[in-house]
Amino acid sequence: MQNMINTQELLDLYNLANNKTLLSYTGIFDGQILSVIAENIESNLAQNPNASRKVFKIFLELAQNISFYSTEKQTNSKGKVNGMGILILQEFEDHYSCSTGNMGNTEMLKEVIKKCETINILERDDLREYKRKLRSLPASAKGGGNIGLVQVALTSGNPLAYKIIPITKTDSFYIVNTKINK
Amino acid sequence: MENIIIEGSRDTYFIPSVNFELHTGICEIVGESFLEDTIDFYKPLMNWVEDYIEQEKRPLAFIIKLTYFNTSTSRCILDILNILKDYEEAGGEVVVNWHFDENDIDMEEDIEDYIQDTGLEINLIPFQKK
Repeated sequence: MQNMINTQELLDLYNLANNKTLLSYTGIFDGQILSVIAENIESNLAQNPNASRKVFKIFLELAQNISFYSTEKQTNSKGKVNGMGILILQEFEDHYSCSTGNMGNTEMLKEVIKKCETINILERDDLREYKRKLRSLPASAKGGGNIGLVQVALTSGNPLAYKIIPITKTDSFYIVNTKINK
Repeated sequence: MENIIIEGSRDTYFIPSVNFELHTGICEIVGESFLEDTIDFYKPLMNWVEDYIEQEKRPLAFIIKLTYFNTSTSRCILDILNILKDYEEAGGEVVVNWHFDENDIDMEEDIEDYIQDTGLEINLIPFQKK
């Protein structure tokens, strides 16, 4: 039964997604999955419309980054190629926490990390100006606003937590976490 | 030129409702905008506005009532608003009304940023979410 996850591994995975976890997902980040999860977030957090709207927005930005930039790709049933990654949404007493992870090209991720650093040192008004500056630059080939992470930080109102862990010669695992106050 | 009418939906992606009316010059975008290919969707809308300005030369009212849009949409909105600003500067009559949920402070900030970016006068119209 080499091709089957053993029960202990499954239990570890389950325990890792502890009772704070509202939602965890690993796999392809295509349009269908994104809209299903976004709708789930909206209905699960409906008792707190403000936080719900923020978590919804943040999730969609981070998830779209995974579908565009993850270097692990999969083709969905409609023949579209999308990135793979992981999402964990947790609820704590006074905040929600949204974390995503995906494989990425290390050189490109170093640029992403620089952007995260810039985002975290800027005050809100400067961050808004930074967003406006990036938005006025030509769009990337994928039509991305090039401003997703800035928007995430503005929406969350808290600093980003991030890390890259080298995995292969060229690629690293990239994790970003953001906190949304209740 | 013809009207553009797109019925919005929330399926695999979130498609906003679009109603660009040639006869009245009223252009509405309503709903949520998270699309498979944002530029594919918005490019025809931009072209329509440009054609209207060039061929009709009449007043144009642009009405936005988006409760959610992703950042790639945000760039397309900027492009449209810039076209409108150019028209206004060339003597065209332009009105932009942006309806937003009164509790959505982030959206209000977004609209203010567009005003600063484009120099357009945008009327902020808060509504109460049902």
